[in-house]
Amino acid sequence: MLDVQNLIKTFRTEGDTVTAVDNVSFTVAGGEFASIVGKSGSGKSTLLALLGALDTPTSGHIIIGDDDIAQLRDRALIEYRRSRIGFVFQSYNLVPNLSALENVMLPMEYAGLNPTERRKRAKKLLDQVGISDDKQVRKPGRMSGGEQQRVSIARALANKPKLILADEPTGNLDSENGKMVFDLLHKLAKSEHTTILVVTHDLDIAGRTDRTFRLVDGKLQKKK
Amino acid sequence: MNLFSRGVRNAFRNTIRTSSIVIILALSIGLTIAMLAARQAVTDKIASVKSSVGTTISISPAGFRGFEGGGTALTSAQLAKAAATAHITKVTQMLNDRLSANNTSLQSAIEAGVLGQRFGSSSGTDTVPQLPADTNTSSSTDTTVTTRSFTPPVTVTGANDLTGTAAFGGSTAKITSGSSIDASSNEDIALVGKALAAKNNLSVGSTFTAYGATITVKGIFDTGTTVGNGGVIVPLATLQRLSSQAGSVTSAVVTVDSLDNLSSTTTAIKTALGSAADVTNSQDLADQTVQPLESVKNISLFSLVGALVAGAVIILLTMMMIVRERRREIGVMKAIGASNVTIMAQFIVEALTLTVLGLILGTLVGVAAASPVTKTLVTNSSSSQTQSFGGAPGGSLPSTARPAGGPGLRTFGHANSQTLGNITASVGGGTLALGVVAALCIAIIGSAVPSFLISKIKPAEAMRSE
Repeated sequence: MLDVQNLIKTFRTEGDTVTAVDNVSFTVAGGEFASIVGKSGSGKSTLLALLGALDTPTSGHIIIGDDDIAQLRDRALIEYRRSRIGFVFQSYNLVPNLSALENVMLPMEYAGLNPTERRKRAKKLLDQVGISDDKQVRKPGRMSGGEQQRVSIARALANKPKLILADEPTGNLDSENGKMVFDLLHKLAKSEHTTILVVTHDLDIAGRTDRTFRLVDGKLQKKK
Repeated sequence: MNLFSRGVRNAFRNTIRTSSIVIILALSIGLTIAMLAARQAVTDKIASVKSSVGTTISISPAGFRGFEGGGTALTSAQLAKAAATAHITKVTQMLNDRLSANNTSLQSAIEAGVLGQRFGSSSGTDTVPQLPADTNTSSSTDTTVTTRSFTPPVTVTGANDLTGTAAFGGSTAKITSGSSIDASSNEDIALVGKALAAKNNLSVGSTFTAYGATITVKGIFDTGTTVGNGGVIVPLATLQRLSSQAGSVTSAVVTVDSLDNLSSTTTAIKTALGSAADVTNSQDLADQTVQPLESVKNISLFSLVGALVAGAVIILLTMMMIVRERRREIGVMKAIGASNVTIMAQFIVEALTLTVLGLILGTLVGVAAASPVTKTLVTNSSSSQTQSFGGAPGGSLPSTARPAGGPGLRTFGHANSQTLGNITASVGGGTLALGVVAALCIAIIGSAVPSFLISKIKPAEAMRSE
């Protein structure tokens, strides 16, 4: 499903060149729930941004299905982000003046789904992640962190992606809500046959995934 | 919820900020609309004044100014030379004279009054009345007893053409009784002003004496003015003969075939007559009369551009601030599949929403402010113009613009300068349409830079922690 080969990302800062991702290679199978662990500044989030086509690699290949997204250009990248992947962010990143339902409908609007279909699917997804009808019309500001993250997961699933990338999805949650969100992601991976790659610094969380990659100073250290 | 409704809703995310921006924009757009209306009103007024002056040139002997100035009368021969100039369609020649008690049976219909007592007499050492400084506080010195009795003379005008207004002091005359006379004749016939006829019990067919001749009244006219209605009109040749001024002319009004040829014809006449005559054309006078309005037109244009730029800068800065605030949100939108165009469109809708709200409120401001602003601009401009010319009497007409002769132009200048202030600006459909275009320009200019900034934001912004 996901095949990363010799991926390198360097940044130039004040005359220096910093290698955030240093020749990383790994594969994740379809429907697998994998995690990447590492300390702060180890390059986890940069790696996730590269896999999600939010940033472009300096060199290397990111092959998803038959496409090498490292070679894609603007329009194709937008299409890739729109239909092939879903993102879950640590800070939820919901649009504050849209309701939970509208937030979930947003990626479907970008994908060109008609309003009736996107409302129907958004409601179904929110039901799946445990957001009740009365909370579906609430704006993020009136929801708890756990609820917002569940809405964020529903949004990530909106366009039925094959790969979900989650950046510290439980980082802003208490242990109870963190466990609930993790269980939800785990369940989705199994039921929807969706590949999930979670970046976390929480070794407990990582220990419960199918596979864990450890990133140290941008390099992949070992596999579990 | 689609892109459009999201953009509209985003405009109200911060109601205090939105209200402030809309109010400032409304003032900017309101000023733009008011200035558009002012400019339109002033342009219309200028066109109206210019179109009302016609295509006439006034000729008078050099130094001659009614009965106050000096100079030597022109001759019909001189005017014939001028009349040979191209583009002239008509030359109305006039000879003015005054009838007093010793050469006419007519009694003047005009009372001397204080002004007549002061200015109307000839030399003498008598005590003359003082003009009252304040009618409410008049004292014995204000009404000094005069030892002189002045009777205004009867003005008689000889004209070779009565079809225009020139022979009637620039006023439109209406024959109220009898018929007009043949101005090219040499008969002892006359048209008599309404007031003069009443004073002397004259009617059509009556006679009066002047210069020792008996003149028959053929018609009675009404010009609507006291001076005009107190006068006598006779054929030019008749007056030249009776007053022993054969071939003399004290003023002439030349009509040119088109406005385009007015200036060149004026120059040609000046060349033909040389220093013997003062030549003034109606357009020069109109240009001088509407000069304050031209200033208002320029002021309104600068203000219009200023208001427009201010509005655009307000929206520009606001949208730049909003884009900066929402960098992360824009990154998220890109991360979940939005294209640059989609996001830009949403922000443009947001800018348009603010602008349309500003436009609605601004239209009300503009409609309310258009007329007062225009009046203030015109009044201030006219009064400053008048002061700069030494406070000429008769409204804003500069003293230098006063024609040397020619009753038609004198009347025109005076009347039009007085009506310059009577200007009303209204916001019509055209002005509103321009206002809408201006608002759209504001929104487009204001959205252009933020749109560029949006395109530069990377989706990776979504990954930034707060």
